[in-house]
Amino acid sequence: MRALLTLGLLALLAGGAADARRHDPEKLPLTHVRDLHYGDVLFYFFQNTEETDLTALTRLLAYDHWGRLSHSEDDALLLEGGLYLELGMHNRAGEIFQSVLTNDVPTGVRNKAWFYLAQVWYARGYMDRAEGALRKINGRMSPDLEAQRELLLANALMRQNRFDEAITVLSNWRGPDLWSAYARFNLGVALVRNKRLGDADPFLSAVGTMMAPSAETAALRDRANLALGFAYLQAGEPGRARAPLERVRLNGPYSSKALLGMGWADAALGDYQGALTPWMALRERNLLDSAVQESYLAVPYAFGKMNANAQAASYYESAVNSFDAENTRLDGAIAAIERGDMLEHVLSQERNAEDRFGWAWQLKTLPDAPESRYLYTLLAGNDFQEGLKNFRTLVAMGGTLERHADDMGAFEDMIETRERAYAERLPRADALLNSGAVQQLQQRKVALDNRLRAIEAQHEVAALGTAEEREQWGRIQRIETALAAAPDSPDNAELRTRLALVKGVLFFRLNDAYGARLWQEQRELKDLNLALQETQSRWIRVERARKNVPANNGEFAHRVVALQQRIDSLEGRLVAAEQKQRTYLAHVAVEELERQKERLATYQIQARFELGTMYDRAAREQAARPAAKPPVPVQKGAEDESGSEPPEAPQ
Amino acid sequence: MSHMLFARSRLLRRLGAGVLAAFLASAVLAADPPATPAGAAPPVVSPAQREKIEKAVGAGAQALAPAPAAAPAAAPAEAATDTRGLDQEIQGLKKDVVDLNRDLFVLEEELLFPANTQVAVFLSVDIGDFFALDSVQLKIDQKEVINYLYTPREVDALLKGGVQRLYVGNLKVGPHELVAFFNGKGPSDRAYKRGASLRFEKGVGAKYLELKIADRQRKLQPEFEIHDWE
Repeated sequence: MRALLTLGLLALLAGGAADARRHDPEKLPLTHVRDLHYGDVLFYFFQNTEETDLTALTRLLAYDHWGRLSHSEDDALLLEGGLYLELGMHNRAGEIFQSVLTNDVPTGVRNKAWFYLAQVWYARGYMDRAEGALRKINGRMSPDLEAQRELLLANALMRQNRFDEAITVLSNWRGPDLWSAYARFNLGVALVRNKRLGDADPFLSAVGTMMAPSAETAALRDRANLALGFAYLQAGEPGRARAPLERVRLNGPYSSKALLGMGWADAALGDYQGALTPWMALRERNLLDSAVQESYLAVPYAFGKMNANAQAASYYESAVNSFDAENTRLDGAIAAIERGDMLEHVLSQERNAEDRFGWAWQLKTLPDAPESRYLYTLLAGNDFQEGLKNFRTLVAMGGTLERHADDMGAFEDMIETRERAYAERLPRADALLNSGAVQQLQQRKVALDNRLRAIEAQHEVAALGTAEEREQWGRIQRIETALAAAPDSPDNAELRTRLALVKGVLFFRLNDAYGARLWQEQRELKDLNLALQETQSRWIRVERARKNVPANNGEFAHRVVALQQRIDSLEGRLVAAEQKQRTYLAHVAVEELERQKERLATYQIQARFELGTMYDRAAREQAARPAAKPPVPVQKGAEDESGSEPPEAPQ
Repeated sequence: MSHMLFARSRLLRRLGAGVLAAFLASAVLAADPPATPAGAAPPVVSPAQREKIEKAVGAGAQALAPAPAAAPAAAPAEAATDTRGLDQEIQGLKKDVVDLNRDLFVLEEELLFPANTQVAVFLSVDIGDFFALDSVQLKIDQKEVINYLYTPREVDALLKGGVQRLYVGNLKVGPHELVAFFNGKGPSDRAYKRGASLRFEKGVGAKYLELKIADRQRKLQPEFEIHDWE
C-alpha cells in the first residue's frame, strides 16, 4: 500500500508541478514541493515507520489548521487518507477517499486508493464495504493489480455466500501465473459450495497437481487436494476421493485431515484393513488435532468391523483414558485464560516491536504457554489477529495518553512563565502606551510637513541651508537691518554695497543648492512618513497585544484544561475498550476450548457406549453358550472347590 | 447397562462428514494471507441419536452431549457483530487520539513559537549524487541553535522529496544572520564540509528559510544555498 501510495502521490505531484525533474528510472522522480510544511509532512511519511506515520499525520492536521498547505490541499487530503489507512483507521480513510477521489485525481491513483481500502476492509471483515470499494475502481489497473482486484472481489462475494457471482468473476479471470492457482482454487471451492462438484474437479485437480516451489504454493496444493477429496467423500464417491487425498503431503499442515479422509474412503469401500493404515499412522500424532482425536475412535471402529473385538475394546479404553487426560489439560488452559494470562503471554513477545498502530502488524510467534497448543488455529486465524491488533493498539494508545498527561504539566508551566514574562513587561508597555509618544511624533511630523511646504511656497532658500549658511544668512539679515537704519554716508553706502555682494554670493550658493536640498528633504520626509506608519502599526499591534494578553493567556489556560479533560475522558474510554477487547478475546478463546471439550466429551460418550455394547454383547454370548462343558477330570481324593471354567478362547 | 441398537457406521460416518463440512466451510478462500488448518467442527449427531446415547449412558451424558448443528452456526455471526462493534469503537478512539495529538502539537507551537516571532529553517536535498549528508549545524546571529545528525532513514526520506523542518525558534524584528554548516561525504566518498550564510530581515510574522543542497552536474559538485521564502 505504502509504496504504491508514495508513487501515486509523487506522480500526482509531478503531474501538477511545472518543473518536476526526471532522473534514473530506477529512482523515484523528484517533485517540486510548493509548501515547505507539506514537504515536512512528506519527510516523516517517507520514513515508513508507524511512529513517523503518526507524526506525519499529526503535523499534516496541524499545518492544515494553520493554513500552511494552501498550495497542496488536494495532495494533502489524499495523503491524509493514506495515512489514516496506514494507521488502521479505515473508516476515516474511506470518508476522505470518497471526497477526494474525484475525476480530477488521476485514475491510477484513484483506483489504487480504492483497491487498498478494499483490502483493509476485507481483512477487517467488512465484506460489503470491500465490495463497494472494488466496484468504484474505474477501468483496468496494471495486470498484477487487476488480477488481485478480481480475486479480492470473488473472495468478498464468497464470504457473503454469493457463489454464483463469484463463479462468474473467477470464470473470466485472467492474470499472472502467481495468482492463477488461487483463482482456480477459489473457483473450485465456489463450484463445490454451489453443488457443482463435477465442474469443480478439473480446477481443484489442476491446483492439486501443480508444481509448488514455495511453502505457500505447496500448502495451497495440499488444500486443493484435501478439499476435492472431502467433497467426493461427502458426495458419497469414496473411490474418487482417494486419489486427491493421496497427493497431500505427509509432512504438511493438512496431512492429518488427509489421513483421516483416506481412512474413511477405504472404510466406505469396505476395506477396513486398508483404513487402518492411515488411521493408525494418524493415531500416533498429537491428540490436539481434531482429526487425531477422531482416529482414536476410527481405529477401534475398524477393528470392530473386522471382528477383532479385543483390539477394538483395548483401543476404545485407550481412547477414553486419553480423552480424560486431554480434558484435564483443557480445563487447565481454560483456567489460565480466565485468569487473564493469555493476552499477556501473547503480547509480551511483541513489546519491542516498532509497529503499534498499524493494521499491517501480525502475530508471528506463539507464546510458550500451556494454552498456546490448543489455540494454534485460533491464534493464527484472521479474526483473532484482528482482535489482537485492536488490543495492541489500545495498549499503545494508553502509553501515548500517559505521555500526553505528563506533558500537561509542562504546558501549565509554559503558561505560567508566559504570564510572569508579561507581568514584567506590562508596566513598561503601559507606560509607553500611555505616554502618547506616537501622537507627539505625528504632530511633529505634521509640523515639519507644513514647514517644508511653506519653504517651498515661499522659496525660502536659506531655510534649507547648512547650519553655517543659515547663521551667515542670519548675520547678513541683521547687518542689513542695522544698515537700513543707519544714516546715509559714504562709508555706510560702501558697507551696503559690500553686504549686497556678500548676500548675493550667499543667496546664489543657497539658491543653487535649493532644488536638490528640497528634494532631499521631501524624500526624507517620505521616509519619515513610512517609518512613522510602521511605528503606528506596531503601536496598534502592541496595543492590541496588550489588550489580548489576559484573553490569550486565559485562552491558553482554557485550552490546557480542555485538553486535560479530553485526555482523562479518553483514558477512561481506553480502559473500558481494552477490557472489552480483552474479555472478548478471552471469551473467544474459551469458547474454542469449550468446543474442543465438547467434542472430546462426545467422543468419550461414543467410546464408552461402544465399550459398553461390546461388553454387553460378550456377556450375552457368554450366557448363551450351551451348558455342554468339557468334563472336569475327577481326581481321587481331591475336590476342586473353585468350580472355575477354563478361559474361553479370545474371539 | 441396557443395550441398544446403534448404527455405529452411520454415527462414525457423521463424524467424518462433520469434519468435511467444517473444512469446506473454512476452505473457501486462498487469496487471504496463508491460512492455517481449519479446526474440525464437533461431529454432527442427530437428536434421535443423542436421546439414545443419553438413555444408554445415563444422566452424566446430558452435559456432554454435543449441541445441535444449528448452534455453532449462530456463534460466528454473534462473534462477527462483537468484533465489528469493538472495531468501530476502537476506530473512534484512535481518531480521537489523533485529534488530541494534533491539538497538543498546535498548542505547544503556539505557546513556544508565536507566529509573530517564529522563524523556521527547512532543509531539502536534490538528487544527492554528489553529496551524502551526515549532519547540519545552524547558527543564528553567531549562536549555535541546532546540530542535527541524520539517520540513513531520514536521509532516504530527504532524497525521496521530503523537506525537513530542521529548526524552529523565535527572533526579534530586525536584521539577522543565518549560517549553516553541512557535513557529509562528497564526490569520491571524501569527507566534505561546506557552509552557507544569509542575512535576512525578520519582520512581523513567521519567517521561513530553506537550506537547499543541490547537485550541479556542470561542476560535478554539490551546491549549498539558503533561500528566503518571503
